[in-house]
Amino acid sequence: MKRRDFVRNMSLASMTVPFAFKNYNYEAISKTLFNVPKMAEDRVLILIRLNGGNDGLNTIIPLDQYENLLLHRANIIQPESSIISLNTETGMHGAMTGMGNMFNEGKLSIIQNVGYPEQNRSHFRSMDIWTSGMMDVNATQGWLGRSFDLNYPNFPTDYPNADFPDPFAISMGYEVSATCQGLMGNFSHTVVNPFDAVNLSSTVGLNDGTYYGSHMEYLTNMIAQTNAYASQVNAAANAGNTLSTLYDASNPLAVQLQYIAQMISGGLKTKVYILNINGFDTHDLQVNPNDATQGNHTMLLKSLSDAIAAFQDDLSLLGLEHKVAGMTFSEFGRQIAANASNGTDHGDAAPLFLFGGCVSNGIYGSNPIIPTQLQAQDALPMQIDFRDIYASVLKEWFLVDPTEIQSMFEHEVTFYNFLGACNLGLDEFGVEKEKSIVFPNPAYSKTTVKFESLDEWVKIDVIDLSGRELKSVFSGNLVPQTHLIPIELEELSAGNYRVHIQKKSGNVSIQFVKVQ
Amino acid sequence: MNPQDDVTVPISLSLDPYSGAWNANLAAHLLRRTTFGPTFEQIQSATTLGLAATVDLLLTLPDVSPPLSYDGADAIVAVGETWVQSVFPTSNLQVTEDSRRKSLGGWMMQRINLESVSILEKMVLFWQNHFAVPFASDSRASFNYLELLRSNVLGNFKALVQEVTIDPCMLVFLNGYSNSVYSPNENYAREFLELFTIGKGEQIGLGDYTNYTEEDVLAGSKIFTAWQIQGFGSATETTTSSVFQPALHDTTDKVLSVHFGNQVIPNGNEQEYLNYIDVVFQQPEVARHICRKIYRYFVNYDFTQAVEDNVITALADTFILNNYEVFPVIQQLLLSDHFYDIALRGSIIKNPIEFFFSIMNSTHSSPNYSLPIDYELYLNAYYLCSTSGMNYMQPPSVGGWTAFYQMPSFSKLWVNSSYIKLRFDFIDWMTLWGGIDVGGNKWGVNQLAFLNGLSAPNDPVAVVDDMVLVFCPKGLSATNKAILKWVLTNGLPDFEWTVQYDSYIADPLNTVVSEPVRWRVALTLSSLFKTPEFQTI
Repeated sequence: MKRRDFVRNMSLASMTVPFAFKNYNYEAISKTLFNVPKMAEDRVLILIRLNGGNDGLNTIIPLDQYENLLLHRANIIQPESSIISLNTETGMHGAMTGMGNMFNEGKLSIIQNVGYPEQNRSHFRSMDIWTSGMMDVNATQGWLGRSFDLNYPNFPTDYPNADFPDPFAISMGYEVSATCQGLMGNFSHTVVNPFDAVNLSSTVGLNDGTYYGSHMEYLTNMIAQTNAYASQVNAAANAGNTLSTLYDASNPLAVQLQYIAQMISGGLKTKVYILNINGFDTHDLQVNPNDATQGNHTMLLKSLSDAIAAFQDDLSLLGLEHKVAGMTFSEFGRQIAANASNGTDHGDAAPLFLFGGCVSNGIYGSNPIIPTQLQAQDALPMQIDFRDIYASVLKEWFLVDPTEIQSMFEHEVTFYNFLGACNLGLDEFGVEKEKSIVFPNPAYSKTTVKFESLDEWVKIDVIDLSGRELKSVFSGNLVPQTHLIPIELEELSAGNYRVHIQKKSGNVSIQFVKVQ
Repeated sequence: MNPQDDVTVPISLSLDPYSGAWNANLAAHLLRRTTFGPTFEQIQSATTLGLAATVDLLLTLPDVSPPLSYDGADAIVAVGETWVQSVFPTSNLQVTEDSRRKSLGGWMMQRINLESVSILEKMVLFWQNHFAVPFASDSRASFNYLELLRSNVLGNFKALVQEVTIDPCMLVFLNGYSNSVYSPNENYAREFLELFTIGKGEQIGLGDYTNYTEEDVLAGSKIFTAWQIQGFGSATETTTSSVFQPALHDTTDKVLSVHFGNQVIPNGNEQEYLNYIDVVFQQPEVARHICRKIYRYFVNYDFTQAVEDNVITALADTFILNNYEVFPVIQQLLLSDHFYDIALRGSIIKNPIEFFFSIMNSTHSSPNYSLPIDYELYLNAYYLCSTSGMNYMQPPSVGGWTAFYQMPSFSKLWVNSSYIKLRFDFIDWMTLWGGIDVGGNKWGVNQLAFLNGLSAPNDPVAVVDDMVLVFCPKGLSATNKAILKWVLTNGLPDFEWTVQYDSYIADPLNTVVSEPVRWRVALTLSSLFKTPEFQTI
């Protein structure tokens, strides 16, 4: 008999146990991921997590597929007359007037059919994939945490400090965000209300040589860090401002976004803010039985839309519109067919939103095709890989070097230009990408080497830093083109290695890190 | 042996009764180590009572009533009745089982939250860490297992091991129920020696761990064969039990290793495991192993050679002299000079359950709504402790929680950088924002009850001093005490607090005067709870 988890809970279910403490340090690599160009220095990213799996087909509605949608989800479909038209083919749920207006003003873009290959329909697994940006089940870092780790290797020990007094990221609420999980700690500082910081001065000089003293020293270091961030947040909130009258105090997301406006305008240097809305797991009563324009999903979308519209209005009044960009994400979309409970079950791809003064306005990707006949559990196939959106946000918004970005991901990254409206006149990075690269780097159980060859004999090995061959990956004749060769890393222990490529046209050696 | 080279060793290694002056700081130390968080009143009372009488009180165990059904989902038992000896329905068992398990989880936290001055719950957790048995699929079995611990906490350790060996939950946990002459399973036999009784020593030869060998593991697995479980999820049996099936028993002679004098355990059927336990308990190393664990739990995680030679040896002598009765060992320890040595004050970082309940218990904070709401609130406390690293019925391994044995960090493991933040969030949640919420019914810190129990609630200097006495094992710096007083009085002169408090007492139901008082205490406690001093006991 296997050990069973204690029955799952309701009110605390969203509080996840922090990742296990991993004793690993990146001394050997120094990269500058968030050491961004001047122009991006004060740019901020807002991430809004729609927890539970948002029904994309009830959010962005393919009007050209309406007839077939009616076949499969007659009990929950929005009446055509209630839908906000974005163009002749695509509409938006009628409750989202705020975001509809933002679309018309060029401050919202919609990316259709976002997902990842071989969608996993478990909330937990899928959210892990979305927050880590990796398919590898051993991945423990979040996608932002990975970036931060590369740039700030001694976090949390050496932070905050004079150069980096503010939290790198802020997670609104009680829970640190898995997107910001680094190897040694979580880069997000939790804030419930930035005005509520109440701190004691740090306790110093307490190690009196007893067991107690050694605990005091240990605890003081960690607490000082937490307190220091709270003071910065508090000071910024008090120095900041908010000008919009559109915020609804009964809408928790709006309240949190207003706090964020206050912190940003108060000069906090935090790069990323993460928010969360629960309730998108709409297995039943997604809509009211007698009126599909009302119900749980309507309320959720309205809260989201109203809050974002108010925030955007505030940013515009504060003159911060071009410094803040936002993005929504959810672990998956839902199935095409409704169920008998006026709800929908876990599905695959779904649209996501980008907003802000710098979005390249419009709808990316085409409407999903809704077939007349469905197989059981059919959902929407992926059109755009969410990891490419992360990569594009890093490139377009934080102006991170594309080669650095590629090293963060397992797949060959495609960049989209949907957040670059404010980058005109800026020197783009060289179009030519690095010819040889190992990605992801750091890697968990596998990685890939990408390189070019002529028509020639090629030998690829994994070697240690002293040059000793540890693993033969490939040897043989190759045709002239770009190659992608996967490398299994299971048998290697954590540490620094090189991929060594021997070929007539020139040997290449690329360092990478394997994480436990 | 000593992972902390930089620390001062205790001055006194004597287990002779402490004979120095008795004061509130020592009383607070005793109560912090033996309960889940004393109130100021309990500390005062123990100061007046004196050491010996307080230890007597601590070691007098209260009666305990069983968990009650509360959520209306139990198909057999009505809300307000206990389910611990009730059958299951014939269908949809899981609904009833989930209901019972939730009741049990909530009840366990309720037990800890009761404010009586008793070592009982601290000892139950000690034994749970020792045997580390997780929830079984039938909560009646889990309840019986916990009852077994509870009724033996200070009793005879050998008797406890005898019973745990054939307890249905243990038979499930370590595969005893599938251990038969046809398919032997060593799981229990190994942990029985390695963890539960004699303990694993250094490996001194192939399969030889100083105190026992692989031969003994194998012999034990044969000795323990044929114990089956019954009644799990039963619609006819009112409890779970274990039963000996003679046909499944290995009847051969079992030969023990040289460490047990090559003794032979002949077939003894259902009595055989008792004969084996007799043999194992003849080894004094059993007493030493258990006394080390008791010492780690109640005194300090680190044993220097001097502690091993003096304290552990003396406790083990007492244990053996009293035929493995736990009571005299604990009594001797709590009365001893060594226990009150200042070098050991605050030497343990609170585990998550101690952390949470030291906040709640010390502030008179107990939910008092209806049965269903109270149980649900308690259940949330269970989850909260789990989230912060201590799932009571799911220790990370059969060895218990790592913080109790992992060198060199030990109790520092409870507060890594993620957990300290979580603790801080919980502190704000419980002290400032009303606490755990079930349908609008909140269980948080009862700031006014705490304040009103202090020695002079209208004197801010006394309020801060009392808080420090309750929560900080070795006090707090003058600077931080000044800051706490500043938070309490909102930076106003002391007399303003006196005026505010007195006007609240004159009109206690008027929230216009009581709320500001309550809020200042909430802010002060939330600051105090975030000091490193508060994290230790």
